[in-house]
Amino acid sequence: MSIEFKALTHTYNEKTPFPYVALHDVDLEIKEGIFTAIIGETGSGKSTLVQHLNALLTPTSGKVIVDDFIITSEKKAKDLKKLRKKVGLVFQFPEYQLFEETIEKDIAFGPKNFGVEEEAAKKKAREMLALVGLDDSYLNRSPFDLSGGQKRRIAIAGILALDPDILVLDEPTAGLDPQGAKEMMQLFTKLNKEFNKTIIMVTHDMEHVLHYCEDVVVLKKGKVVHTCSANEFFNNYDLLEQLHVALPKVIEFKKMLQDKGIKINPEIFDMHELALELKEELKHG
Amino acid sequence: MGDMVLGRYLPLDSILHRMDPRAKIICMLFLLIAIFIPAGYLGYVILGGLVISLILLSKLKITYILKAVKPMMFMLVFLLIINILVIKSGNLLLSLGWFEVYDDAIFQTLFIVVRLALMISITTLLTATTKPLDLTLGIEDLLTPFKRIGVPAHIIAMMISIALRFIPTLIEETQRIMKAQASRGVDFEEGKFTEKIRGILSLIVPLFISAFQRAEDLAYAMEARGYAPDEERTRYKQLKLTGMDIMSMLLCFAVLIGLIGYIVL
Repeated sequence: MSIEFKALTHTYNEKTPFPYVALHDVDLEIKEGIFTAIIGETGSGKSTLVQHLNALLTPTSGKVIVDDFIITSEKKAKDLKKLRKKVGLVFQFPEYQLFEETIEKDIAFGPKNFGVEEEAAKKKAREMLALVGLDDSYLNRSPFDLSGGQKRRIAIAGILALDPDILVLDEPTAGLDPQGAKEMMQLFTKLNKEFNKTIIMVTHDMEHVLHYCEDVVVLKKGKVVHTCSANEFFNNYDLLEQLHVALPKVIEFKKMLQDKGIKINPEIFDMHELALELKEELKHG
Repeated sequence: MGDMVLGRYLPLDSILHRMDPRAKIICMLFLLIAIFIPAGYLGYVILGGLVISLILLSKLKITYILKAVKPMMFMLVFLLIINILVIKSGNLLLSLGWFEVYDDAIFQTLFIVVRLALMISITTLLTATTKPLDLTLGIEDLLTPFKRIGVPAHIIAMMISIALRFIPTLIEETQRIMKAQASRGVDFEEGKFTEKIRGILSLIVPLFISAFQRAEDLAYAMEARGYAPDEERTRYKQLKLTGMDIMSMLLCFAVLIGLIGYIVL
C-alpha cells in the first residue's frame, strides 16, 4: 500500500483570465501506518493537496497514487466510491456537514451511502459515538442542539463510521478549547496506534506536531520544501526559523539552553526528560 | 458555476467602467425603452450599432457578451416553431400539404430575438462594468426622490448590496459542503433518484443553517457598530456626475426621442 504524488500540479480557474497555481510539480510519498503532519502558511496549498487524496480535486497534470487507485487529469479513479471509502476526509469545521434529525442517523448516513445495511449502519453509529467519547443518550438527540466541540465529534464520527484505512484531517482542532483539542488528538493517536490507520493531518499547531506526529511535510507556495521525521524537523533550527512558526515550549527552552553552550541530547523532546538531563548536566558541569 | 456570465463584474479599465453608476443606469433605462419602440429595421440597426460600439468602448470581449446571450438559443427555436404554426401572413415560402411557412413568421421571430439579444447585451454591459457596490449606490440615489411616497430607498439598496455580496460566499459554501458530503459517499451526479434527493437534502440543510447563521451574525455586527437604517447617513464614497456622464445620458435620450419621432412622423 502506498500514497504517492507524482509531478502533481493543480491550477484553479485554469481556463479563465485569472488562473491560480495552487500546487506546482509536487513529488511526495507518505508512509503507510504513520501519523503525518502537513504544515505550511495559509495559502501554501495544504488543503488543495489533501483534497486530491480522495479525488475531490483531480490534478491539472501529474498523478496521485493511493494503493491501486491512480488519479490523473483525464480520469478520476476507476471506482470513486471505493476510493472515498478507503480515504476518509474530514474538512475544516466539519460540523457544517451535519444535516439529519438525529445524531444516530447522521453518523449512519456515510456507511449507508456505501451500501451498509440500515441495522449494521446504526450499530456502527453507536460504536463511533462511544469512540469519540459521547454516550448512547446522545443517539436520538438533534445534532444542532449540541455545543461546537460536540458537533465536531459527531461530524468526525460520521467519517470514522466509513472505516477508512487512511484518515485525512484538515485542521481538526481549529476553534476548539485546549482540553477538547487534546482529547481530539488523543483520539487520532489511538486510531493510529490501535487501529493501525494512516493519518494525515493539516495543522498549524506545532505542539501537536511535536507530541503526536511522526513525519512532517512542509509546503511553501505550492511546493514541498521539506519532508522528514518530526524529531529531525524540531532539531533543524534553520528551517524552523525560516518557516516563522511558533516553537513548542520545550523546543524553545532546549534551543535557549543550547545557545548558552549547555550540551543537551538532541533526541530529547519532553519537558520531564529535559529537566532530568539538565540535572545530570549541572551535576557534572 | 464558475462560468456564470450574467451579473458578474469584470475589473477592466475603460470609459464605461469609469462612468457614474447613476448615469449608466439611466442610459440603460433609456435604451431598454428604445428597444421596445417598433421603429422597424432602421431602429434595430441604430441600436445594434450603438450597442456594438459600447461593447468596444468597454474593452469587454464580444465573445463574453455572446456567452451571456447564448442561453437564449433554446427560446429562439421554441419561438420559431410557435410563430411558424401561428403566423399565416406575408409571402408563402414553403408549402408541404397543410404545413405552410410564411416569411412574416421568420421576421417576427428575428425581431424578438434581436430585441432580447440587445436587452441582455445592455444589462450585461451595465453589470460587467459597474462594481456591485457602486451599482447599489446608484440605485439608492435614483430611488431617493421616491422616499416621499414611502419608498425605503436606503433599505432597498442595502438589501441589494448584501444579497450581491453574499452570492460568491454562498457559492463557495455550496461547493465546500458538496465536497464534504461527497467524502461521505454522496454521489451528486449518478445514483438512484431517491439517493439523489437524499444527497440534495444533505446539501440544502447545512446550507440554510449556515446562511441563517451568517445573516444573524451580520445583523449583530451591524447593530454593534451602530447601524440604524432610518437615520440620516453620510457617505464615504461621493458620486459625481461628469460632463461625459451628462453627454451619454443626453445621447441615449436623443436616441429614444429620435426613434419615437420617427414612428410618429
